[in-house]
Amino acid sequence: MNIQNLHNEIRDANLSYLILAQNMIRADRAEALVRLGLSEDVASIIDQLTAGQLLKIAGSNMLMCRFRFDDSVVWNLLLSHTKDQSQAQGMHAAILMAGKAVEVA
Amino acid sequence: MKKVKTVLGEARQIGLASELIKLGARLQVLESETTLSRERLLKLYKEIQKKSPPKGMLPFSTEWFMTWQPNIHASLFMNLYQSLITSSEIDEIDAVIRAYKLYREYLVQLEMPEVLSVTRAWRLVKFVDAGMLTTTCCKECKGHFVVHTYELTKDYVCGLCNMPSRAGKTKASMQVVDAEVAEGEVEVEAVAEETGVEA
Repeated sequence: MNIQNLHNEIRDANLSYLILAQNMIRADRAEALVRLGLSEDVASIIDQLTAGQLLKIAGSNMLMCRFRFDDSVVWNLLLSHTKDQSQAQGMHAAILMAGKAVEVA
Repeated sequence: MKKVKTVLGEARQIGLASELIKLGARLQVLESETTLSRERLLKLYKEIQKKSPPKGMLPFSTEWFMTWQPNIHASLFMNLYQSLITSSEIDEIDAVIRAYKLYREYLVQLEMPEVLSVTRAWRLVKFVDAGMLTTTCCKECKGHFVVHTYELTKDYVCGLCNMPSRAGKTKASMQVVDAEVAEGEVEVEAVAEETGVEA
């Protein structure tokens, strides 16, 4: 991937992410905060962004989204699916992820 | 809770009540969370559910939340509830409704039966408020799980890190579903056991 392609990909990802986040915040703020793992302050800012501002932010060379679960336990639970255990592991991952949302807030 | 004085206030309460009824809440929940009269609530319940509300006591035991499968479901609900209540300024009952909807989303995704009813979920929040139940951190996975407040939890390991050998077996989980469906029957037993602990 050359550098120009990389920038384009990042911009696309940023734009999709920001638009999704904005839509979620506008539809149901309380729920969006949990799903996005976002603070109330930043949510208000994203809520108010104009299309021009969204484009400008998306055009930066840095990704605006990042991996929320910097924890190998969660990843392993999401990945290792033996058939009869998959529900329990899915629940386990869900509990850990919901708990992480509490710590962020 | 303050008395409804305005038409708009009443409309909001009816909205809240019908949302709870749609989620399957018992009449006692509605009576506690709104100031609408019992007659109106009954009428609303019949209009939405097309049947009379189940009679009998609410399940009142904290022990139910300690058994393996209910504990996991209750813990997931509690984590969602706490993340809602800490991240935005919303009413407790509003957070219960939202957390319960999120909880159900997970169940649909994982194709699991609904073990925790909205009435139980509401009850769980009340138990936590009353200091009878709380959440503690599992020392293995660092997740938060529902436990009794005065339990010794220094070396707590959750039911998912340390799974009992028979846990989650299909037959057992089906029995839990049956038990939930027949919640009315459970409550008949509960009445028999009733020792006046109603919190």
